[in-house]
Amino acid sequence: MVTEGREQERISVLGIPSLGDRFAVFETMVKEHNISLVTPPVTKHTLSLGARYSPEFACLPFKGILGTFIECLEQGADTLFMVTSFNACRMGYYAKVQEQILRDLGYRFKFLRFHSSEKGLIGVLRAIKRFSNNASWPTVVSLFRLAVAKLRALDELEREVQKIRPVELEKGTADRLYREAIGAIDRATSFASLRQAMRGYFERLEQIPKDAEYAPLKVGIVGELYVVMEPFFNMNLEIELGKMGVEARRTRSTFFSEYTKWGTFLNALNDEKKELQKFAHPYLKRDVGGHGLESVGEKVRRAGDYDGIIHLAPFTCMPEVIAQNIMPFTKEGIPVLTIACDEQLGRAGMLTRVEAFVDLLERRRIGNILR
Amino acid sequence: MRVGIPRALLYYQYYPMWRTFFEGLGAEVFVSSPTTKLMLASGCSRLIAETCLPVKVFCGHVLSLANGCDCVFIPSIHSVEQKVYSCPKFIGLPDMMRATVPECPPILDPDVDVNTGKRDFYQAIYKLGRPFTRSPLKVRKAAETAWQVHQTFQRRMLSGLTPPEAIEGMFPQSVEEPEGNGSHPIFTIGLIGHPYLLYDEYVSHRLVPQLREMGVKVLSPEMVERARLRASICELVERPYWACEDEVIGAGAYYLGRGEVDGVVSVVAFGCGPDSLMIEVLQRYAKRLGKPFMQLTLDEHTAETGLMTRLEAFLDMVRRGKRPQGISPPASWSQRGGSKRGSASWVYLA
Repeated sequence: MVTEGREQERISVLGIPSLGDRFAVFETMVKEHNISLVTPPVTKHTLSLGARYSPEFACLPFKGILGTFIECLEQGADTLFMVTSFNACRMGYYAKVQEQILRDLGYRFKFLRFHSSEKGLIGVLRAIKRFSNNASWPTVVSLFRLAVAKLRALDELEREVQKIRPVELEKGTADRLYREAIGAIDRATSFASLRQAMRGYFERLEQIPKDAEYAPLKVGIVGELYVVMEPFFNMNLEIELGKMGVEARRTRSTFFSEYTKWGTFLNALNDEKKELQKFAHPYLKRDVGGHGLESVGEKVRRAGDYDGIIHLAPFTCMPEVIAQNIMPFTKEGIPVLTIACDEQLGRAGMLTRVEAFVDLLERRRIGNILR
Repeated sequence: MRVGIPRALLYYQYYPMWRTFFEGLGAEVFVSSPTTKLMLASGCSRLIAETCLPVKVFCGHVLSLANGCDCVFIPSIHSVEQKVYSCPKFIGLPDMMRATVPECPPILDPDVDVNTGKRDFYQAIYKLGRPFTRSPLKVRKAAETAWQVHQTFQRRMLSGLTPPEAIEGMFPQSVEEPEGNGSHPIFTIGLIGHPYLLYDEYVSHRLVPQLREMGVKVLSPEMVERARLRASICELVERPYWACEDEVIGAGAYYLGRGEVDGVVSVVAFGCGPDSLMIEVLQRYAKRLGKPFMQLTLDEHTAETGLMTRLEAFLDMVRRGKRPQGISPPASWSQRGGSKRGSASWVYLA
């Protein structure tokens, strides 16, 4: 039934922007459908490529993703994938400009755009059908279920690792295991093998020697999704915080499996967003696109709960600029460290600021106890 | 009741409408004075450094209105047509001002969002009129008159007036020097950019009058019909994404694709999110057509001399491009890109 036109549109090498290691878990799965997946990790080279060909004032995610696309194409990708949306933020416009830049550079490729208006189960299934070179519907459904299970496994694991990082005696053990687990999740081809692999890793995480007495400081990481998720741009913030003995927490909207829960399917986490909206309402009444509202809402919500908030924002990010302007004026006081990420951000400078911030939080906690 | 309207951002697009509406409800409208150095400095002191220039200017205007008004009108414009949204800063503007200017009198902040349906839109208008009158009919009448005035305002701009000129003609009490349109213009330049940048004389360093003094006929985005702008946008990027695209990408594509202008100058603010991507599309289009195109970036440190030097250099190049074909430019110039328009093609400034 495959028409000739569709035959031409077959995908053989698919390039998608990496968000940490999130998409690496699908590599084996798509290989079974004769597609190889390229998600090159973001490196200095990626960013310099991206920054060279991007408009000067484009935000960091634009440059990062453009750089990743160029690397994908260099590695032989014939199809690129990008999410677009109708949102006030620049993100929805990325695909248009990036495609033009890449075509002007002389690359030949297919550009798949997943529009957020296609959200909902049917839209996603259609997209999967497309990514699996028109597999039959039953296959699509089973692929989808396995993909969701993998995402969930990954997120459960990450949440566990977040808790262990600050208290483990030998720093870096949990992350080593996490890295191994990503490979295992990728290799799992059935629910049974996935479950088995996960059980093994959870046991091993359990056995990591920990400091049971130590109560770590809790720091919430809020801000723009891409810089929060991509370790290269936030200088491995979560791991570095773990080394300092600080527990990093993220909002639910940064865990992708949350989006795939039944009922809230790809609906931008309705209930979570509504809750944050409630908290942000006295200060920010409207959704300003991106994660601006979430940043303000999370600060207000966690004021009594966390010890501090680290706010990551790409330089000139429109929603985060609004959030940043509003956050200092909320009644609920909690220290906030805002870090503007761009291609000039240096590791040493950033870590110094984070260390100073953590020192401040420690003193604040001691002060609170004494009082 | 005195309603304050900051002379910044959407003032240049909607002021006659707003003013008519509030006056129709029996309120007194008070506009902040044109931007001054002090205003900009006070705006900058309240907002974080990364915020874009127009919002800093806006904040300065709100600060200047803090005394002497009973309320300040800062609408939150989500969208003015289906599925085309404003820049987030327009949406969050009232909230941002409330947080950063605590001494500000109560803010009237209607949500304008046509995506949620007509009902919500009309309700927002009634809610806006509520503090002034209890009669919905009166609000309705004021809104209708305001809409008619807005249409007149747009027609006046189509006839070749800039927004401040059109506003001046409609509300003649604020008399300023009438602008002589030069002797006879040598060039025609398409000047594109957001009205709040182009016509704020402090921010843009009197760009429009200066260009006219240089003997340039200035064509601005407001002088093109909306439908044509829209068609140009669709040609270039399928469909519009931001509400403020008309005056940048629409006007840019329209003027670049037309023989009547000799070059296009775009004015953007440092840190403007939508423009950072839209100008890129436009630049590439200009390059393909081989039309002179220049981007001027404004921020709070922009010096007038630097701006004028760049403009003069640009005009010089346009002049060379318009020279009779007999005098050809040096060989090294024409090598840098051949096109139908002769030597104009090498004129490409970013």
